[in-house]
Amino acid sequence: MSLILLMSILNGLTLAALLFITASGLTLSFSLMRVVNLTHGAFYLAGGFVGLSVLKATESWIIAGLAGGLCMAALALFEERFLLRWARGNDLIETLVSLSIAIIIGDLILVIWGGYPKTIAIPQALGGAIKIPIINLPYPLYRIFMLGLAIVIIGGLWLFLKKTNFGITIRAGVDNFQMVSALGINVRRLFTSVFGLSGFLAGMAGVIGGTFMMLGIGEDWRILTLTLIVIIVGGMGSLGGTIVGALITGLIYSFATAFIPEFSLFVLFLPVAIILSIRPQGLFGKEV
Amino acid sequence: MIKERFFLYRKTFLALIVAGIFISIPWVTSDFFVLMAIRVMYFGMLTMSLTFLAGELGVVSLMQASFFGIAGYFVAILQTRYGLPFPFPPLVGIAVSLIIAGLLGMLVIRVRGIYFLMLTLVLGQLVWALASQWSSVTEGDTGIMNVYAPVLFGISMEKSKTAFYYFQLFFFAGATWFLIALRRSPFGLMLRGIRESESRMRMLGYPVSLLRYAAFVFAALVAAIGGVFFVYFMGLINPSSVSLATNVETLLAAILGGINTLAGAVLGTGILKTLDVVLSGITKRYLLFMGIMFLFVILFAPKGIIGTVRNYGRSFLSPLMRWFGLGED
Repeated sequence: MSLILLMSILNGLTLAALLFITASGLTLSFSLMRVVNLTHGAFYLAGGFVGLSVLKATESWIIAGLAGGLCMAALALFEERFLLRWARGNDLIETLVSLSIAIIIGDLILVIWGGYPKTIAIPQALGGAIKIPIINLPYPLYRIFMLGLAIVIIGGLWLFLKKTNFGITIRAGVDNFQMVSALGINVRRLFTSVFGLSGFLAGMAGVIGGTFMMLGIGEDWRILTLTLIVIIVGGMGSLGGTIVGALITGLIYSFATAFIPEFSLFVLFLPVAIILSIRPQGLFGKEV
Repeated sequence: MIKERFFLYRKTFLALIVAGIFISIPWVTSDFFVLMAIRVMYFGMLTMSLTFLAGELGVVSLMQASFFGIAGYFVAILQTRYGLPFPFPPLVGIAVSLIIAGLLGMLVIRVRGIYFLMLTLVLGQLVWALASQWSSVTEGDTGIMNVYAPVLFGISMEKSKTAFYYFQLFFFAGATWFLIALRRSPFGLMLRGIRESESRMRMLGYPVSLLRYAAFVFAALVAAIGGVFFVYFMGLINPSSVSLATNVETLLAAILGGINTLAGAVLGTGILKTLDVVLSGITKRYLLFMGIMFLFVILFAPKGIIGTVRNYGRSFLSPLMRWFGLGED
């Protein structure tokens, strides 16, 4: 195998892991509340920039990641509690509210952090490159760390949803929302906390993504577009589908970036078109 | 007797008043106002195409600017790079825009409601990515410059903005008439039936998907005509014309005016474009302002100006509006 092919695969996997983290939050909040939270991309970018500033102050990458996540969780809680709840019951209005907040956040980022693209410095311990044993190829160590971290987050999320009481409630709410509320579970609190969780994941993904990609104006919409493609391909409300969707999207995007850079984003039209013509509800989505 | 006949033709009367206002704009107002009116008209066509879809299909599209921009890009490319003479660049541009709407329409009519919004957002962003990344054709983020408006009947539209105004007014009126006629036709009635109860229309044997598809393509046509005038007037086109910001601005204009009426679309566009001019002199934070305004309009006046006037201004304006046949329908 040629070098560029291997690099594309590895880059694609890293991007797929990142996309899974952002898409899982979005698909959870969507399947619970029927709101496509279009603020998600803005949470990603704002989280990344918060992480950048915190890293400068504390010089700890882990604190930066947590700070980015927690700030965005707080912002998401605020959005759900004070703005989306205002329009509860009309999913279109709720989605448009989230769109307007995304625009506001996007412009505020420009005010606070300026228009020049920035990257988060790679932590010292993760600098340099290592040789991947079998294929004998040098690859940046931090990218492997990102991939590993993403897999740990995926695993944590998976355990959280499968094993904890709260996670089980969320999954039950996704499957049969009315039954869950009839059983006396506080649905409002469930909504708010899932929204907060989804904001946390987006913010942390911003710090992770900002370390190996640029943080800059327009990145919020690029990530949102990729995330929505993941969900359209994989199907709404299915975590397994989100993994498959993220792999397809990440790999296609990374190969296209290497081989046909002029069409790197546009090529993603193909999976969207094919999936929509064969299965409008997405690969693993349920029949609406 | 005379009064009754007058009442009978009140809509024609109203149309004549509106037409009179539009025709007299270059005579009675300043040059600046004419330029503003030109901008409002081409963006108004974009907004009307969104309003038409929202009103007749009950869906919110975030990709109407793509059809606007595709037509504009083709005019710019064919004219500056291949030097095609006048009637051809716009004709080809609109045709290509329609073909692309025809292809994408097959995908988007499969989904409804919130999925429609999501899918059109994604497709619109992919078109934007193409405009921004495919620099060998679209010149990337700088865009294509030096597009000149045509010379018609010996008058250069580039030099005389009044001539440009009338040239565009002709097509603007045509597009408006086209959408009103569509809405009143059996086709429009069928669309309304689908919006109210799709399963019933399907059961009655109407080709539901085909009708929705046709509505999508018709809406793209109006947006594409607007795009041609946009590129002629601006003289340049770049990816910001197909960006999400443009799409959201269009949506904001539609909601601001009142999402189900064509008059609201033009009204909303007018207000937004005026604000654009006023604000750009004061601040660079136009997007921020637009976002906040968008939020407030959605939360507090989702029916827009026309809807709010209908609701609250009954005592004052409503009799007048009902007399002109603009009441509830």
